[in-house]
Amino acid sequence: MHGTMQSEHSHEPSSGLATAHESATPISLERYSRQMKFPGIGEAGQRKLLASRVTLCGCGALGTVLANLLVRAGVGFVRIVDRDFIELHNLQRQVLFDEQDVAENLPKAVAAARILRRVNSTVQIEPVVADIDHTNILDLIRDVDLILDGTDNFEVRYLINDAAIYTGKPWIYGGCIGSHGQVMVILPGETPCLRCVIESAPPPGMAPTCETAGVLAPAVHIVASFQAAEALKLLTGHLEAVNRDLIYVDVWDNVLRQFKISRLKDKVDCPCCKRRQFDWLEGKMGSHTTALCGRNAVQVAQRSATRLDFAELAQRLRGLGEVTYNQFLLKFHVEGYEFTVFPDGRAIIKGTSDVERARTLYAKYIGH
Amino acid sequence: MAIAVQIPSPLRIHTQGHETVLGQGQTVGQVLDDVTRQFPELRQRLFDGNQIRRFVNVYLNDEDIRFLDNLDTPVKDGDQISIIPAVAGG
Repeated sequence: MHGTMQSEHSHEPSSGLATAHESATPISLERYSRQMKFPGIGEAGQRKLLASRVTLCGCGALGTVLANLLVRAGVGFVRIVDRDFIELHNLQRQVLFDEQDVAENLPKAVAAARILRRVNSTVQIEPVVADIDHTNILDLIRDVDLILDGTDNFEVRYLINDAAIYTGKPWIYGGCIGSHGQVMVILPGETPCLRCVIESAPPPGMAPTCETAGVLAPAVHIVASFQAAEALKLLTGHLEAVNRDLIYVDVWDNVLRQFKISRLKDKVDCPCCKRRQFDWLEGKMGSHTTALCGRNAVQVAQRSATRLDFAELAQRLRGLGEVTYNQFLLKFHVEGYEFTVFPDGRAIIKGTSDVERARTLYAKYIGH
Repeated sequence: MAIAVQIPSPLRIHTQGHETVLGQGQTVGQVLDDVTRQFPELRQRLFDGNQIRRFVNVYLNDEDIRFLDNLDTPVKDGDQISIIPAVAGG
């Protein structure tokens, strides 16, 4: 079932358990008894969770933890969207996957759905193997109450932010690198949005990625767990309990802090939530990716041009693969691919004609 | 007076591994100027010209300096400046 699968919107694989939620039998709440004992949830909260719907964007490190917690908690519908396949180096932190999934070359969304249906057959899980972009995001969030960020790059986060503000749906940002991470709840119209707080993404090569700086599983799990806790508050209607600060955690430095960001909403003349310019949703921003026919290569081009510092990028990539550069371009060999990176952020990735794979590689090594 | 500036782990390659560095000054801007004089490589990570880069946020204690007085925000003994870069991974 690997290789060609694009979407499972209409044809879900595996067992009949996947459709158990449609049966007429009343769903027993016994499995949630410990959660319902908690006063913040109760039976009423549990019923709200069962009636709630979320879209999870990205099912890697953050995403697997989020999916795991939400499905176990009884969120009634979880759409899991991911463009990637499982690799051995994912297993260190991506809790829903195992060696068998790697051997089967399974898409992450499919493998996650497969195991989670064994965990909780009474909720609906919809895996979607797709690259989230401005053409499909509104469809992916059309019927949900909440959007969760399990992604690994700012390009798609700004797109999620645009789509969330545009539709008025809340979303929960989470980011993680090395031993530290950040969490922020975005309630359209109430709290600052991602662009209020992070005005622009780091230019390509300027910020570390998990591939260049590494990442610790406990840091990821804490960040995703904070996200999941906020999701439970929102989905059970406890808006008063929602954390409106930026949560900052570092498990190596022993730091757990909250930074006040709520006043940014009035202070910042945000292009997105104030002026309602949706540059990512309209496809004006973000990478412009094209397969280069017959060359087994894909071009990933940044539309917002920024000059790359090759010395800095080379230093970051050295140790991962062979790097050479001159003033015109930087060459980088890794995983059997050859990157040719230009000063404006554009890259040609040789060794694949798969646009989604190229975008993944770009996000991994050049970053955005 | 010397004010403590918290350096996040990805930027510590530019501060010889120091998690906290001390900077002299009466305002957030002066303290950061002093710190980036001591660690020049940090300058271009934090600043674009004389402005803080748009993907880096600076907090004085727990408040974003953008809703204080930005780099002109006065500092006092015991204050802490934190540099919080955008985090992409996940």
